Amino acid sequence: MADLVDSMLDLMRRLPPTRTEENVTALIGICPDYADDLLGSVDQPLKLKTDRTTGKDYLACDYNRDGESHRSPWSNEYDPPLEDGTIPTAKLRKLEIAANEAFDTYREMYFEGGASSVYLWDLDDGGFAGVVLLKKTMTPTAPHEPSGSWDSIHVFETAERGRQAHYKLTSTVMLQLVTHKGSNGENEGWKGEGEVSLSGSMTRQTEQDWPILDQSSHITNTGRMVEEMEIKMRNLLQEVYFGKTRDIVYDLRSVDDLEKARRQRELQKELVGFIKR
Amino acid sequence: MNPSERIDAACSFLLQSPPGEINDVLNDVRNIISDDDSLHEGVLPALKEYNLTQFMTVDVPGSDHQAIISEAARVAATQEGQERFIDPRSKTSFLFDHLSLEASDSQPAEPDADSEPFRAALEKAALTYLSAHFHDGVAAVFAAKDSTNKFTLQVVANKYNPANYWAGRWRSEYTIDLNENTVRGKILVNVHYYEQGNVQLSTSHNVSLSLPTAVVTASPSASTSKILALIEDEEGKYQTSLNDTYQEMGEKTFKGLRRALPVTKQKIDWDRALGPYKLGQELASSKGMFGNS
Repeated sequence: MADLVDSMLDLMRRLPPTRTEENVTALIGICPDYADDLLGSVDQPLKLKTDRTTGKDYLACDYNRDGESHRSPWSNEYDPPLEDGTIPTAKLRKLEIAANEAFDTYREMYFEGGASSVYLWDLDDGGFAGVVLLKKTMTPTAPHEPSGSWDSIHVFETAERGRQAHYKLTSTVMLQLVTHKGSNGENEGWKGEGEVSLSGSMTRQTEQDWPILDQSSHITNTGRMVEEMEIKMRNLLQEVYFGKTRDIVYDLRSVDDLEKARRQRELQKELVGFIKR
Repeated sequence: MNPSERIDAACSFLLQSPPGEINDVLNDVRNIISDDDSLHEGVLPALKEYNLTQFMTVDVPGSDHQAIISEAARVAATQEGQERFIDPRSKTSFLFDHLSLEASDSQPAEPDADSEPFRAALEKAALTYLSAHFHDGVAAVFAAKDSTNKFTLQVVANKYNPANYWAGRWRSEYTIDLNENTVRGKILVNVHYYEQGNVQLSTSHNVSLSLPTAVVTASPSASTSKILALIEDEEGKYQTSLNDTYQEMGEKTFKGLRRALPVTKQKIDWDRALGPYKLGQELASSKGMFGNS
């Protein structure tokens, strides 16, 4: 029943991005048989966990889950502990450690806080795949401060072809920005209070070929691709998507008097007609 | 999930529906629940709640204007349990089908003689205001059910453009209380833009104004013009302030989450980020391990 999954995805595309988790849980409750289809196609906000061994924060999602436990990229251990949890091969784990360090630098330079995690796994055909996760949450310390969150999920697959590697990257950004306005009005008689919430989620894909010198090239290559993609998506959200929502508000209501404008246009027409005569 | 929990979930989906997309959401929900009989009965209360809170508009039978379906428009149910909605502008009431969104069985509805002169004047001023500032709006003014000195003014403007993946709704509602000389209300804006994504704007803004005595004691037409001038000023200021909010969100909040570029104003040097001094050797020793196998 492919069209049932289509209906679920159409629904998720319409309902508020701020309520994704709650709605996905409800859909799974209604159709438990389609849980995997849904979880595989709808990205959800990442969960922040703390590594018990290193004390470092890491991000939990479906890609580092085994049963009810999640693996930390820092200690490679599962929480709650698992005897025989899936872990990458020793070789891949080495690359995973380096990737986590590199993206931790990336996180600090762009997010100045937050958390990042990279998970890698082997593919049957000899290549490997991975996911780069980034999350930052802004919690207001006073009632009228803004709040917000950024979650990005970058899933990639790579296959080596001689001195080149082919990469397929699928990136999702989930964003929420909330501004609270208090009644401490700057103007006399302006006693408004309220809230403005802008939220969004979007997914983009790209496929690219990059040269490889050694294994570490996979990190610099995916690093450049993720960076490029995040810059593009951040810009799209701010300039295109948010700009569009503001324009729509002006399509609903005009600050200027529409009647005056109409009268002016008519007057102008009359004048033009008068001059022509 | 048991059947009643499934209906609850369906109702929750419907109530989250963006402007103009209730039928799309309903279609999805029908497909997902795939039990039309229990669904139809079960979601009717949610559809009604949605229509009332979202100020659904309806063509008034026998007139060329639209009315607003809302709590203020609701007339107490008759003995047969049928719920009617009033359109004070045409002085009629009608039945409303919450699924098909159509009005029927129009009947005359006599207004209260004491409150009608002020209500009618407020309606006239509201319609003038509406055509001055809204591209596709509907306004309605209701006399309170329990007082001749209290009125509810509602405005709703919708724009649905599914071909270009966007929809928007502006709602405002004010209670004008001539005993307390106040105007209290709220403005709510919802916008959905879903071309290759899902972006939603949701705003709420509370308004509280006090009316000078001179305004209240003037003639209905002078008094209501002044009240609408105050509302016009308030809504205009609010709309302009949204621009500032957008700017602030873009420049401060968004940047606080993720910068457009690092402080250095340059993209990352990935070779350095890799930390060659720390890891280069380890990685060099594993060179070729994955490739060419």
